[in-house]
Amino acid sequence: MGKVIAVHSYKGGTGKTVLSINLAAALVKHGKKICLMDLDFRAPSLSTLLKIEKADYWLNDYLNGICGIDNVLIDLTERIRDGGKLFVGLANPTTEAIRDISAKDRKWEMRALGRLLSLRNTLLNDKGFDYLIFDTSPGLQYSSINAIVSADLAIVASTLDKSDVEGTKRMLKELYDLFEKKTRIVTNKVLYGENIKSVKDVRSQMEELYGVPILGVIPCFCDVSRAKGTLIFVEDKPDHPFTKIMDEIATELEKMKE
Amino acid sequence: MGMVVSKRGVLGKKHIRMLEKIKESLEKLNEKIEIIIELQKHGGREIQPLPETPLDVMTLLSMPDHLRKTAMTVCRLGRATAEEVAQQTHRARAVESAYLNQLVIMGYLKKERKGRKAYFYVEKENQG
Repeated sequence: MGKVIAVHSYKGGTGKTVLSINLAAALVKHGKKICLMDLDFRAPSLSTLLKIEKADYWLNDYLNGICGIDNVLIDLTERIRDGGKLFVGLANPTTEAIRDISAKDRKWEMRALGRLLSLRNTLLNDKGFDYLIFDTSPGLQYSSINAIVSADLAIVASTLDKSDVEGTKRMLKELYDLFEKKTRIVTNKVLYGENIKSVKDVRSQMEELYGVPILGVIPCFCDVSRAKGTLIFVEDKPDHPFTKIMDEIATELEKMKE
Repeated sequence: MGMVVSKRGVLGKKHIRMLEKIKESLEKLNEKIEIIIELQKHGGREIQPLPETPLDVMTLLSMPDHLRKTAMTVCRLGRATAEEVAQQTHRARAVESAYLNQLVIMGYLKKERKGRKAYFYVEKENQG
């Protein structure tokens, strides 16, 4: 059976979306059938980054109960050469849709959780997806907590920024632990300096700090920032060190699944 | 297993049925006692289940750990008996039964009897 992964972070701008897209692509390269979903309804970005201007139905519509998940998913398999399959579900980026979803009440959020939970059956069991990857809103918000509760694994993207590290530590204790969620950290945008000289340093320091395994350490790559999110590095820059790290993380995820 | 078979041999089918009936009655009794305990906790006042309250993630987060585990399991299973919840949480059936009934009283879960079994579920009436 497949797995559901929620990519989350305490703060915004930690690289969740770039990580989600590239992890999805790396797993597709490994021959997997992947569904990538934009659950960041407050600041949708997948539609822009993947250059899909219009969708017949959005994930908003699925959570509102006006369509099935089949209507939402868009086949992007041709975007990744040689591999498995890639489907995406997008969040509606219009201001009206963002406003609409921000005004939902607890009851709606409860039903949304039910719908997210049911994706396990419809997509993993019935449609044979290997992984569902949820790109979420940062911090403690309904949509992101719903995603975390529905997931088997939470990947938390964190930078070395002090407030980010402290917030991530708090979330580990007060969010993921409470839901008994398997959690892994990806330390992103690492700049090496006096105290941190290597990947090994980051791993040991972060593992001690967070008390959970570090899934990956990603240096701050100017190329990644320069691409403005418009490249899928794993596909478009196969020899880039960032791609290599994504491939390693994907391999690690597959090992965890076994 | 060998022990069980030999015991069955000694006891006979009739006795086994009787014991099963006793077990069933004890479980029913236990459930009633759990509700009485809950009532006493509320100062003996007659408590009606609270009006249906959404079991959303923020509510789950604020619940005591032992109840969250039970509530999450029902969320995942959709609809379950105390026995089924206990299998997932690896806690005793009677313990889960108590927690489930507590969640019903709090208005988070609904309970429905079908024959000898009681099913617990999150209210889906308003799910569009």
